Amino acid sequence: MSMELYSYYEKMQNQGTILYFNGPVSQTVVEGIAELLRDKMRAEETGMGSVQRVFAILVEQMQNIVRYSDERIEGNNGWEGEIAFGTLMVGHEEDGSYYIACGNRVKATEGKEIARRIDHLQGMDKDELKAYYKECRKKKKADSLKGAGLGFIDMARKSSRPLDYSITPIDGDNAFFIMKVVTI
Amino acid sequence: MNKFKVEGTKSTPVINLDPENNVFEIRGESYPENCWSFYKPMFEWLENYFENSEVNKIVFEMEILYFNSSSSKTFMDFFDLLDEQFEKGREIVVNWRYHEDNETAMECGEEFMEDVSSISFNLVEFGD
Repeated sequence: MSMELYSYYEKMQNQGTILYFNGPVSQTVVEGIAELLRDKMRAEETGMGSVQRVFAILVEQMQNIVRYSDERIEGNNGWEGEIAFGTLMVGHEEDGSYYIACGNRVKATEGKEIARRIDHLQGMDKDELKAYYKECRKKKKADSLKGAGLGFIDMARKSSRPLDYSITPIDGDNAFFIMKVVTI
Repeated sequence: MNKFKVEGTKSTPVINLDPENNVFEIRGESYPENCWSFYKPMFEWLENYFENSEVNKIVFEMEILYFNSSSSKTFMDFFDLLDEQFEKGREIVVNWRYHEDNETAMECGEEFMEDVSSISFNLVEFGD
């Protein structure tokens, strides 16, 4: 198995992959990876707008893994943070824009709710997304998905295309959620 | 009145609320793991402060380089709280500070400015 790493490496190099991560994610990992990517993009003198959009989308996606992935390690021994399993890929599209994609397991019922929320955003243009973002932000009551609603809208606003996602059934109760955001 | 001070980390801002020296500032990045539990003590301190203080005017300096969507919601709640204090007769000013190159921070400031009711919300650009 481990000897296949070179073929993974080669394949990802050829596909324009900048970063690939698969494993347990905690807040520390979110901070480390997001800062690493920001430093790398700054070192390459990427425009500030792109750096900020990629950083923001990456943080939202990785924090979604920490909050919602159904594969989790529960805290004990005084450790209060959360650790959850997920997968993440950042790379270049053929036209040079960036994609940020993440995946994690979810309960099938939650998958349906996530799909409903993203579908709701698909038909909106940038002005409608802005209005909807502000409307949700003004609401007094936090919703059941702990702010994820606002995160999806924020990503849709930063995305140069409609949000791309898929929910693949694993078995009756579980599914795998993938989301891809493209930004310039 | 005791001051409220929180040191910054990679994902949380410096918060310095110091009535004695008339300093009220939040500076840094904001994407904590649990936004509400991070800001809750600040909200509690502010509520207590407003309840027990005769102060008429407060100027908040906010210089946030990046904030995630949960922080965005929390900041809106913060501005709503300040709007309530304005209704009670206090003059409240928020200076939203951003570097001239940081267009995102400026736009975010504009969107907050559109959504506050009564407080004075200023966009303050600074250079190097």
